[in-house]
Amino acid sequence: MLRKMKVMMVTDSLQVGGAEQVAVDIANSLDRDTHEVYFCATRCDGLLRSSLKSDVEVMVLERSATWDLLKLLAFGKYVRSEGIDVLHSHGRGTMRFIALCKALGIISAQHVFHDHFGRMHLDRSAGRGLKIPLHRGVDAYIGVESRLCRWAIDTVGLPAAKVSLVRSGVDLERFSTASPIDLREEFDLGEGNLVLLMVANFRPQKDHPTLFQAIAELSKAQQESLRLVVCGSTTADPAYFEGCMEMLERLKIHHLVRTIGVRNDAPALMAGADAGVFSSKNESGPLVLLEYMASKLPFVATETGEIAHAVKDAGVGILTEPRDYLALADGLAALLEMTPEQRAEMGERGRQLVITEFEQHVVVRQVEAIYAQLLRICVPSDAANTQAS
Amino acid sequence: MTPEHPTTTRNRYPRAQCAVSVALCTLNGERWIEQLLDSIASQQRLPDEVVVQDDCSDDNTVVLIEEFSQHAPFEVRLEVNENRLGSTANFAAALTRCRGRFIALADQDDVWYPNKLQRLIDELELDPTVTMAFSDADLIGPEGQPLGHRLWDTRLVGRTLRKRAVVPEELFARRALTTGCTMAVRRRAVAASLPFPAALDNEAAPMRHDRWLSLVAASVGTVRALPESLLGFRVHPDQETGVLVGAQLPRALGRAATAVLSAPVDYSNQTHLARADQLEAAAERANEMGDFEEAHTLTEIANHHRARVQGEGSTAGRLRSIVEGVRAGAYGWDRLGLVAIAGDTVRSVRPGRRSKPDTGMKNGSDSL
Repeated sequence: MLRKMKVMMVTDSLQVGGAEQVAVDIANSLDRDTHEVYFCATRCDGLLRSSLKSDVEVMVLERSATWDLLKLLAFGKYVRSEGIDVLHSHGRGTMRFIALCKALGIISAQHVFHDHFGRMHLDRSAGRGLKIPLHRGVDAYIGVESRLCRWAIDTVGLPAAKVSLVRSGVDLERFSTASPIDLREEFDLGEGNLVLLMVANFRPQKDHPTLFQAIAELSKAQQESLRLVVCGSTTADPAYFEGCMEMLERLKIHHLVRTIGVRNDAPALMAGADAGVFSSKNESGPLVLLEYMASKLPFVATETGEIAHAVKDAGVGILTEPRDYLALADGLAALLEMTPEQRAEMGERGRQLVITEFEQHVVVRQVEAIYAQLLRICVPSDAANTQAS
Repeated sequence: MTPEHPTTTRNRYPRAQCAVSVALCTLNGERWIEQLLDSIASQQRLPDEVVVQDDCSDDNTVVLIEEFSQHAPFEVRLEVNENRLGSTANFAAALTRCRGRFIALADQDDVWYPNKLQRLIDELELDPTVTMAFSDADLIGPEGQPLGHRLWDTRLVGRTLRKRAVVPEELFARRALTTGCTMAVRRRAVAASLPFPAALDNEAAPMRHDRWLSLVAASVGTVRALPESLLGFRVHPDQETGVLVGAQLPRALGRAATAVLSAPVDYSNQTHLARADQLEAAAERANEMGDFEEAHTLTEIANHHRARVQGEGSTAGRLRSIVEGVRAGAYGWDRLGLVAIAGDTVRSVRPGRRSKPDTGMKNGSDSL
């Protein structure tokens, strides 16, 4: 009998975030007949730990700096002692950490880097700080959007054979088993309103102000017919959060909005909402759209990232140009004008699309094929055929 | 949908009604206006409208524009001001009338290359977070002859811009980097910039429309600098924007550096206060649009301008304040920052002079 492949997901933390959720979902859904799964958070623990399956071996390294030598050695020792075959890193900081371990000869495991970088609009460059670790310390590159894959090939100069496009997927089980939370009761939203849920940490990239301005653009009657629940960390960028709160007051819509902080029961919150909303200015995914769809939520969102582009014409949500609050206001107005049946149909279409195209098992087979290719293990050809080229 | 809660306290800028507008301001430009209009009519991507704001020309400019509008492949919307407004207010009036999602600015004396509009609009369409794109230009003489120089280099911004695909608001806050005729702007940035604040007209340090617009654009989005040359920028004695070529450049630079280093205290103080007011106005606009981080950056730079205003304190106290500014990185570490440190140091040890210096450059305070 063949030995199981030992795979370790490596992230900065286990705190709630898109990249971290993708890592957890992959860790949970790798085939247990052929894989043994480990998870390492190199900086800190977090709420997502409770989402990991019980058979996943977890270590939290608590490194304090990028080049924390002691932690680097401890990590290398653990990887060697456990005989890890593949290290799958998420996030550029984590990638550099592992690439350094490889360059120093501390570890020899294959390194798969999963790039979720969401600021390509600001930084399309590739300095030495990225090029060197990507060339010398990464054996396979996974981009969550085609723009990242093009960047990896054209700007970084990685061989196309090393680069794969793997769109994010969603673990439907998390959403099928969630018991809905009654948001109206839990957050004192009153009756008869359409409850919108936005799941996004309070960070500038998520562009809550565009959503708030869009709500302010609606007529008084439209405003009073909706309530917005915002779920996400309020401490990630305190100045930004404070600015958002001041803006709500200035726009006189603070009574329509509840901020509930970071939660680990997003599926239950989604199950209790009437629609999703997402106003980010730039994303590579964004995973949250898949989660809305998995929860049968119709949504209004800005069109940014691979998933938004992929579902654009599928009638599963209303997509508008990022940063354009007038367009987003039109989207919200259109959602409000739909009948409950029309919204339910839209939500159902989203769920079906996730099942056929974005289900976690579809995604994870592509990832398993990349691991197998690195270790030169034979896999079915359809799964292996994921190269971006 | 009738908004009952406008998103800002300022007058609301209406929704876009077409794709691309060109905002053109004119004043006694009969000599070159036809060449410009023909070059706009020859664009690979035509605008939907050209909005002309004439600032009371007393030559044939208006007649020539009206003739052109008879056969133009796009709508030409001409308005003649009742009273002369001056360049900055005139552009504000033109921008207010533009209906496009994207707005390109034009000067009456330039010649656009056929791909100019296409290239700038492509950049804006490619990424919705980009609020402004601008390019370099070739300098041409009064008769259209190439002068062999690039605009960015003659304004001493070439090195700065070529190494950055994205230009942050901090750089626009410290100096003028753009010229209106090289830029195209997303409506979001124009909406945030209008109406132009009164602080732009401060005599001690006026801020031109293009610097204000680019400052606001960088504060409410991303600004991209395209190093290719997309137009011929005409150099002639009557133009508004100061350009120095050949032997003029080192001489004027020397004069400007001397003037900055030896500027009397009261003039220098007025300049800092004017800049602080202008940057605070931009920060307010960014804050209104929800770009809090950018607003904070601008407020910090404005605060530093206020801190540089020199009072009656001791020389040691003034020097200490400069050292603190340097340690905090508030001056920036480019050539301009170093000149500012030197100027502040000179003024803090010999603060006696009182008259306004002559920089020898048109719009010198705005350029440097």
